[in-house]
Amino acid sequence: MATNRTKARKIRVLPGFKLTLGFTLFYLGLIVLIPLGAVFWKTATLTWPQFWQTITMPTAMASYRLTFGASFCAALVNVVFGLIVAWVLVRYEFFGKKIVDALVDLPFALPTAVAGITLATLYSEHGWLGKLLLPLGITVANSRLGIFVALTFIGLPFIVRTVQPILEDLDPELEEAASSLGASRWQVFWRVILPMLTPALLTGFALAFARALGEYGSVIFIAGNKPMLTQITPLIIMQELDMFDYPKATAIAVVMLVVSFVLLLSINVLQWWTNRYNTNNLA
Amino acid sequence: MSVEVKNVIKKFGSFTALDNVSLRVESGELVALLGPSGSGKTTLLRTIAGLEFPDNTGEAQVLFYGEDVTHIPASQRKAGFAFQHYALFRHMSVFENIAFGLRVRPKETRPPEKEIRARVEKLLHLIQLEPLGNRFPSQLSGGQRQRVALARALAVEPKVLLLDEPFGALDAKVRKELRRWLRHLHDEIHITTLFVTHDQEEALEVSDRVAILRDGKIEQIGTPEEIYDHPASPFVYDFLGNVNLFSGRVKDGAVVIGDTEIATPTAAGEQDSEAVAFVRPHDIRLTREAGGARTFRARVLRCNAAGPVANLELERLDGSGQFNAQLSKEEFQQLQPKAGEEIFVELKNIKFFSDDYSI
Repeated sequence: MATNRTKARKIRVLPGFKLTLGFTLFYLGLIVLIPLGAVFWKTATLTWPQFWQTITMPTAMASYRLTFGASFCAALVNVVFGLIVAWVLVRYEFFGKKIVDALVDLPFALPTAVAGITLATLYSEHGWLGKLLLPLGITVANSRLGIFVALTFIGLPFIVRTVQPILEDLDPELEEAASSLGASRWQVFWRVILPMLTPALLTGFALAFARALGEYGSVIFIAGNKPMLTQITPLIIMQELDMFDYPKATAIAVVMLVVSFVLLLSINVLQWWTNRYNTNNLA
Repeated sequence: MSVEVKNVIKKFGSFTALDNVSLRVESGELVALLGPSGSGKTTLLRTIAGLEFPDNTGEAQVLFYGEDVTHIPASQRKAGFAFQHYALFRHMSVFENIAFGLRVRPKETRPPEKEIRARVEKLLHLIQLEPLGNRFPSQLSGGQRQRVALARALAVEPKVLLLDEPFGALDAKVRKELRRWLRHLHDEIHITTLFVTHDQEEALEVSDRVAILRDGKIEQIGTPEEIYDHPASPFVYDFLGNVNLFSGRVKDGAVVIGDTEIATPTAAGEQDSEAVAFVRPHDIRLTREAGGARTFRARVLRCNAAGPVANLELERLDGSGQFNAQLSKEEFQQLQPKAGEEIFVELKNIKFFSDDYSI
């Protein structure tokens, strides 16, 4: 065995595998795992009944539903409209394309509080958009719809930026092949283009979804923060922190963490499954 | 019964890809479109497929068995197209790739699932990939991928099969195997086929007829023998294989190169003019005996006897340039030429072009 091991040792082109892996683990530990560990550590000061009571209190339960629901819907809407934006940016040439392309990144760069205040002003009863929507019976400010709008705003770039490069690399011959086989334009899109974009769409969805789950700044300005109705989970955590009840705050944070992790992991599995054709192993 | 294009003009910006091209391919024929890159051969193929449309919509016509398909898009033309880089759908198995053309048919004409399976199985058998139906394209070799692409195109029972440099991305050995396989396949199913290539050997070996394109025009079309033995222009002559050029004159029924006079039947009746003689390397005979006016002297520069024939590089003693000769193994062993040796050269099969001979 010992001789086999030395023989089996691979010679790599890039040196320093152990060094870089060591650094990666150390860095991730320092930046990600230790703070997250502290969350669990603090939570552990609660007893099980206390923990259970905290995470199942009615306002918290309502906030989970709202946060995960609104984030999911916002990410889903972004998948559709982000794909359209990416499609237009890749497939067509038009005046001002560079500017539109740059606009997509704005939600990345803008401080989220600024975005929140802007949206709240626009959609308030006297705001430009709110004024128009009021006669239709639609209120965006201080409502769940407002939260959804804010989360859609911050999530858009994730979809566009993940789909865009894949769409650019898509070989036009694939579409030509499909149409010479008799496929209509719609069939070409549905059966050839969309399946090839699915892994990228899922990645974009996961990123936008994760971003929306943790979003705080833009939402609190437009949500109105009415208990049981428009309070998002990060706000509940903030409220506990304001009362210096760190164990309770971290307990709710643990719920967020665990659920987010499970959801993102399942998206990754799904993504791996849709991308399975890219394997080269001759099974 | 034929696939026909008439008077097609196609420009990309200021570049003329097709300059009033007309071509007729008889039903069941296998025709090669041969030419250097930029000669318009792929554009012609794509025009037949409906992936490009002629600029002169008024005059140009594409006809499939008499039916005018000039303005019909690719999806309704029923022309099977195979791309150089296969363009297989990566996210579908080999089986689903082949079935694609059947599955996208509207409900009324779509065959039932059982028949689709049967047809795909039959095609998998035809391309000798029966056990690999469940693989993804990324798990196949280049040659296998191209065969899948062919099967996919054949599945829709196309009126014409169009292959764009089908073997261009493959290595030499697989290439030879696959083009023989294509010939056998064509002998079996007799589908009207056009294929684009820039490899003259491939074109001459596989096809019933070869069309040679140059600068968006068809320079010559004919059977492989016809175009090889009777090239219509210096371009065709040069494109179809190695050739030596000797500049000289045509005079009194002979081609005169330096002090050498070679009686050439085709030169009879030609006007006294400057001409360039084209001689294939295998039409050059080497001898140690002076042959009078028919021969000239040259020095052997290099011999390479590896392979089925021996290739020699020679230089004319009058200093007017180098040329290549090809000897059979026996000829080479009889003569045993050595590098540096002086030898007599006889040109056997001369083709001369007296007008503008630019290549």
